Amino acid sequence: MTFRTKLLLLTSLTVAGAVALVTGAVAVSTRRAFERLDVARREALLEQFRRELDARGEELSRRVEQIASSAAIEQITSGAAEYDRAQAEAQEQSLDFLDVLQPDLTIISSAHWPARFGYKNDWNIATGTKSFLARITLPEGNAVALISVRSSPGGKALVAGGRSLNAELLKSLGIAPGMRALLWRAPDDLIDAQGAVQHADKLEPLIAQVKASRHESTATVQWTKQRSSSEAFLGLPLFERGQLMGVLLAGTSLREEMDLENAILWIGIMVGGSGIAIGILLGWWTTRRVTHPVEQLAAGARSVAAGDWSARVEVVSHDEIGELAQAFNQMTQHLVEQRDRAIQAERVAAWRELARRLAHELKNPLFPLQITIENLQRARERSAEEFDEVFREGTTTLLAELSNLKTIVGRFSDFAKMPAPQFERVDVNELVRGALKLYDARLHADDRAPTSLRLELADGELPIAADSDQLRRALSNLVLNAMDAMPDGGTLHVVTAKMDDGVRISVADTGLGLTPEECERLFTPYYTTKHHGTGLGLAIVQSVVSDHHGKISVVSEPGRGSTFIIELPLKQGEQI
Amino acid sequence: MEMRAALRTLDPADSDILALEARAQLIPAVFETLVRFDERGEPQPCLATSWSHDAARKRWVFTARPNVLLHNGTQWSPKGGAIELPDDRPLAAILRELAQPAGAIVVRADDGSLLGTGPFRIAHWEAEKSARLVAHDGYWAGRPFLDSIEIRMGRSLRDQEMDLESGKTDIAEVLVTDGRRLRQKGFAISITPFMETLALVFENPRVPDATREALALSIDRATINNVLLQKQGEPSAALLPRWLSGYSFLFPAPRNVARAKQLSASAAPLAFAYDRQDAILRPVGERIAVNASEAGIVLKSSTGPADVRLLCLPITSRDSWTSLADVAAMLKLGLPRASSEFEAESALLNGYRIIPLVHLPRMWAISGGVRNWPRLADVWLDPDPKVKP
Repeated sequence: MTFRTKLLLLTSLTVAGAVALVTGAVAVSTRRAFERLDVARREALLEQFRRELDARGEELSRRVEQIASSAAIEQITSGAAEYDRAQAEAQEQSLDFLDVLQPDLTIISSAHWPARFGYKNDWNIATGTKSFLARITLPEGNAVALISVRSSPGGKALVAGGRSLNAELLKSLGIAPGMRALLWRAPDDLIDAQGAVQHADKLEPLIAQVKASRHESTATVQWTKQRSSSEAFLGLPLFERGQLMGVLLAGTSLREEMDLENAILWIGIMVGGSGIAIGILLGWWTTRRVTHPVEQLAAGARSVAAGDWSARVEVVSHDEIGELAQAFNQMTQHLVEQRDRAIQAERVAAWRELARRLAHELKNPLFPLQITIENLQRARERSAEEFDEVFREGTTTLLAELSNLKTIVGRFSDFAKMPAPQFERVDVNELVRGALKLYDARLHADDRAPTSLRLELADGELPIAADSDQLRRALSNLVLNAMDAMPDGGTLHVVTAKMDDGVRISVADTGLGLTPEECERLFTPYYTTKHHGTGLGLAIVQSVVSDHHGKISVVSEPGRGSTFIIELPLKQGEQI
Repeated sequence: MEMRAALRTLDPADSDILALEARAQLIPAVFETLVRFDERGEPQPCLATSWSHDAARKRWVFTARPNVLLHNGTQWSPKGGAIELPDDRPLAAILRELAQPAGAIVVRADDGSLLGTGPFRIAHWEAEKSARLVAHDGYWAGRPFLDSIEIRMGRSLRDQEMDLESGKTDIAEVLVTDGRRLRQKGFAISITPFMETLALVFENPRVPDATREALALSIDRATINNVLLQKQGEPSAALLPRWLSGYSFLFPAPRNVARAKQLSASAAPLAFAYDRQDAILRPVGERIAVNASEAGIVLKSSTGPADVRLLCLPITSRDSWTSLADVAAMLKLGLPRASSEFEAESALLNGYRIIPLVHLPRMWAISGGVRNWPRLADVWLDPDPKVKP
């Protein structure tokens, strides 16, 4: 991942994180504000329910009092009325429940369940109280009602009338939009202002919690898969003398809150998205200003690595990046200066080595020349007869040494005149076979310690573009070096192999080997580890390999021989 | 007159068992039997003046009443002036069968109409809606007082009462619980002997015996009769009322809630059905549910298939055997073979599959001018009734 990408990513994440934090903070703040408002509204609803219950209780007491003092009660208690006479009285006073009772609470006439006459009333009646809640048992189920009890004049009968805590009561509460009141009536009946509640099972946990704790409890119910269907409830237990009669559930729809949260979320997403887009643009512009010099530095560094020590970067600022560019330029300048100095030093050293070699090579034949000439002079002075013989021998020697001098000079001349290679299709295997054939006789010469040849050639042909003469000469030099390295015999191991984009030729001996220092200087012209030679052999090999755009390396260890490895490309010219 | 029943036909051979009561009311006015039962249940001659048997008591000869005219004016003259019946049953059984409406003498005319010998003939018949009977001038016992009787069938009790009060009918069926109120309005009330039996019938044979017995023990028959039925009925654990069988007291009807609780321990709720539109059955059914609840039996109201159903079983005949057989037929039970009615009824009630509760009379509200009700042949209209509605 590039620095620019990282920088852009960091910028985007920062913007997105900031927006997310702000959005979350706003959403949480909004939710808390809604929750406080909901709690206040629900508590207001509960208070309204209590007031409505008190008002209804007073009205109920008034109506029951009217029945208790009516002539119908006298008729009922005297047996003059039919057993279901209470129905007419209840209907007249709009009561849901009415029992006319004997003082011992035996039902004389019942409006809501006429068949119950003769049985005891089970409403847990307590006379003297204003009104109370009671659980009413009916043939078709149970109900919870607000009950008021009054005694008839003379005390012959008690009149217990009641009105059901039903949907009509909930409807009369005048509930604010977005709210609703539900009433759970013991043992298992749940209604709202419209009647029975669908999916009442979702409220069972809250009701169970209220029943268990006997205190107010809250819960949120999600009616459908949509979150906006969620509704927050506050459950208020309705007790009567310690017995739970019901639970009033004040519910607030969370739709508005959810909608607002969604709006905030979408705004956050849009702002965040815009921020990210702007951040990306700004980041791109900023990072471009930052990374462009860095990229220039990287390009300069790659140029230096490729050998172009003259690479320079443009210094466009005076900040850290500018200082880095200046340092880079100074570094490359110093590198060039050091290289130039090294080249000069190398040249001097090379010339010194050349001079030493020339002096050494030339001194050896010069000394016999001098001795021979001095012998000729002395023979001339001693006798003419000896002089002729000495002259013949002397001239022979002089010619031999001069020939030697000529050879030395020729070698130096050849190195200096190394021509440009003439590339043609060359089968490396064939070329190796041809080069080794020339040394077959020498390898098996009698005056030489036994030296075996082990040849491992790649299958088939190994065609490459090469100058066959130069390559053969390079191979010859390596083979000669190897033979020279094995004066006591050994194995000459030549291997050819095909690579992905070239061929490899390795020439190994089992000779004395080289030290690491010798390996480093091995290809330096005029450097040799042998007592004879010009030190140009491996330099010529390296020159040939270099002209073929290949490379040569040596792996060696003292006492274990050396391996020279030449790697050459398959093609020359434009493909390289 | 008006009635709740809606008869398809007045053919005595028709087997409309649900309309037995109405048919028993109307058929004797049109078609007569060889013998009939008087109010004490004793066989009396009707179209047969006498009867005798051969030496082996396997053939009976009923001597036809002479000078009996059919409704078309022709003479009813059985071959040889007598009717022979090969029957080796006891005489009582033979006479009981012959006295049933199904045993009435009916002659089919050439046009397919049915001819009888009764005091009235059918002048108009619209199945299940209305009929008009006119006096048979040639009736062998003398022309009836009424010239004709208009009958409207399929009328609800509420409609009948409204028609009665508005003078559209002289005779209307009323509930036994409405008698006091209608008397206060000035109508004469005719109460028949107990002609109906309110009973619980278990339709689900898988209800355990103990649960059935518990339900029977839980019911407070006295309160049902005294309060709900305004003492118009007769609490009883027998199917047939005492006036008919004479032995109903042999079926005790004790209430024992404690025992019922023991028997009903862990009893499953029972689906309980009754006609909620019926002004008698509804309060009685509700009270039974309350009584059962006290004994720990839950009766869940059902409008469909039921474990137990509250029914009103009509007494279809003044003959106990016939009535028992009709009840058994109505309940799709076979009448057990027994040597006496008591044994047969005991067998029917054994196991509490039927729990009789109360015997009820029928009540007719009659306008002030109607006299000699309920036998139609004897009814006459007083042109100046002392009591007017």
